[in-house]
Amino acid sequence: MSLKILFFTSPTCSWCPYLEGVLRHIIKEIDHLELEIIDVTKDISRAGEYEIVAIPTIVLPNNQRIIGSADETFLRKQLDFFLTLGS
Amino acid sequence: MIISTGIEELDKMIDGGLRTSFCYAIKGTAGSGKTVLSLFMTLGALKAEIPVLFISTEVDIEKLMIYGKSFNMNLESYVEKGLLHLEKMSLKPLGTNLVQTDQFNLSAIIARTKTKMKEINAKMIIFDSISAFFADFKYEKTARSNFMDFIREITNEDAVLVLTAESQMSEEYSTIEEFLVDGVIKIRTELKNNQLIKRISIPKLRSAKPINFENRFIINRDGISILRSEQPPISTIHEESSGIEKLDNLLGGGIPSGSVVLVEVDGETNYFPLFLSTLCYHLEKEKGVIIHSNVHMYSSRILEDFKKADCDIEPFMNKGNIVFIDKYNRSVTAIEAREMSQLMTTDDMISVTVELMEAFQKSKQKVVIYGDLTDDVNILSETEFLRYFALQSFNIKEKRAVAYSFINFNAISREMLARLRTTADIIIRFSREDYTTYMECMKSSTGATFLPKVVKYKDKMPLIEIVD
Repeated sequence: MSLKILFFTSPTCSWCPYLEGVLRHIIKEIDHLELEIIDVTKDISRAGEYEIVAIPTIVLPNNQRIIGSADETFLRKQLDFFLTLGS
Repeated sequence: MIISTGIEELDKMIDGGLRTSFCYAIKGTAGSGKTVLSLFMTLGALKAEIPVLFISTEVDIEKLMIYGKSFNMNLESYVEKGLLHLEKMSLKPLGTNLVQTDQFNLSAIIARTKTKMKEINAKMIIFDSISAFFADFKYEKTARSNFMDFIREITNEDAVLVLTAESQMSEEYSTIEEFLVDGVIKIRTELKNNQLIKRISIPKLRSAKPINFENRFIINRDGISILRSEQPPISTIHEESSGIEKLDNLLGGGIPSGSVVLVEVDGETNYFPLFLSTLCYHLEKEKGVIIHSNVHMYSSRILEDFKKADCDIEPFMNKGNIVFIDKYNRSVTAIEAREMSQLMTTDDMISVTVELMEAFQKSKQKVVIYGDLTDDVNILSETEFLRYFALQSFNIKEKRAVAYSFINFNAISREMLARLRTTADIIIRFSREDYTTYMECMKSSTGATFLPKVVKYKDKMPLIEIVD
């Protein structure tokens, strides 16, 4: 079973390409994680469903959200926290 | 495009209504009625079939519907018709945990709002409330500066954006919202005699002069009512012509409605030409005229004088636009009258006049009142007369009417004249030297007084001419 991490982006977000790269890099190393990238300007229904307000938003399967861009260490820390304590 | 708020008095306060591509903020302390006002604005637009997008950041949609129901609003029917869409937007939906950094923007709400706007073709977007929205942000400053983009993007779509924002009790002015928006509607609550009183004002309004008056703001089940403060905004005072062009010019455009004009004459000067000229003008303009008749001003004499000037006012008299109030009870015989009080009581006079003013106002007619005060001053006791004059002036101001009061300054005491002058808004004085009559303005609420000018009488309307 793989868990889905949702990554909400938009074309006007300047931090998103960097964050997306970092996220892909981290997720590649973890087996049962999958990344779904959603452009809010194209897929409004998903944005509405998850009540997305700010960009970038990363929605983790345990209902935790990371709002705003961050560096790799910060993201790793958050994901480790989720992988060890979450699910 | 101007969208009415559905509240007549509020429309007047914001220069006609909400303008598309403008952003307004409703500010107020907790419980002041911001959400209610925004709901009534929504209803106002919906009634005019203007689609509305209502974004709620604190209250759930179901709760909002119940909230509307308690004010007799059937929001569901508008949702079914596709005129209204309610959307919940908050950073932290129920059951989620947040980790935040300061590198983000709000493009998601922009995209979501724009899509919904296009779906229902919304011309009005209500965002209730930004305070609750920002409360979830750890980096509130970043959120607020990003919110500017939201305001810009939404107002660019030719729609009205109405934000509600909570203000703190102590806060005087200038939170970020107030710099960004085009208009601020402020609701203030105060405790007076153990009663919570709400007041509404417009501290900021771009492209129009803000009105700095605070009006009473009352919410009840059937709607919102705004009671205009006793003092009307300056912009609503407009000047009325006296019928004599030259006099209007000298007074700086005319006589402001709500003025008492005191016309002082000596015993020998005839004030009738001035009286008849203005009367004729007002009747032609279909205004309501009330005349407090006396030994000089009575219907048959006025008719005769008009006939002499080749002016036919009978049609106006038959229309009912002119009413004589008989102060001397001439309907009773002389002996009866002597036994009874010879006059109507002053209270009767006032109440009859007020009733007539209201009747004219109901048929959307401006009211002009004429009266010769000379006899009243001498017949009534001093206190009674001053009370009568003050009450009458007060009614005239309140009902936005104009009163012309004629007085023979030689027949009354100096002290009384001084008191009348204090109450009057405009004083016009006739004086004579040899065989020339002069007219001057000694006091004017607009500040436009003038020095004595020569007056010439004519035998055709207008009967009076002012010569430089």
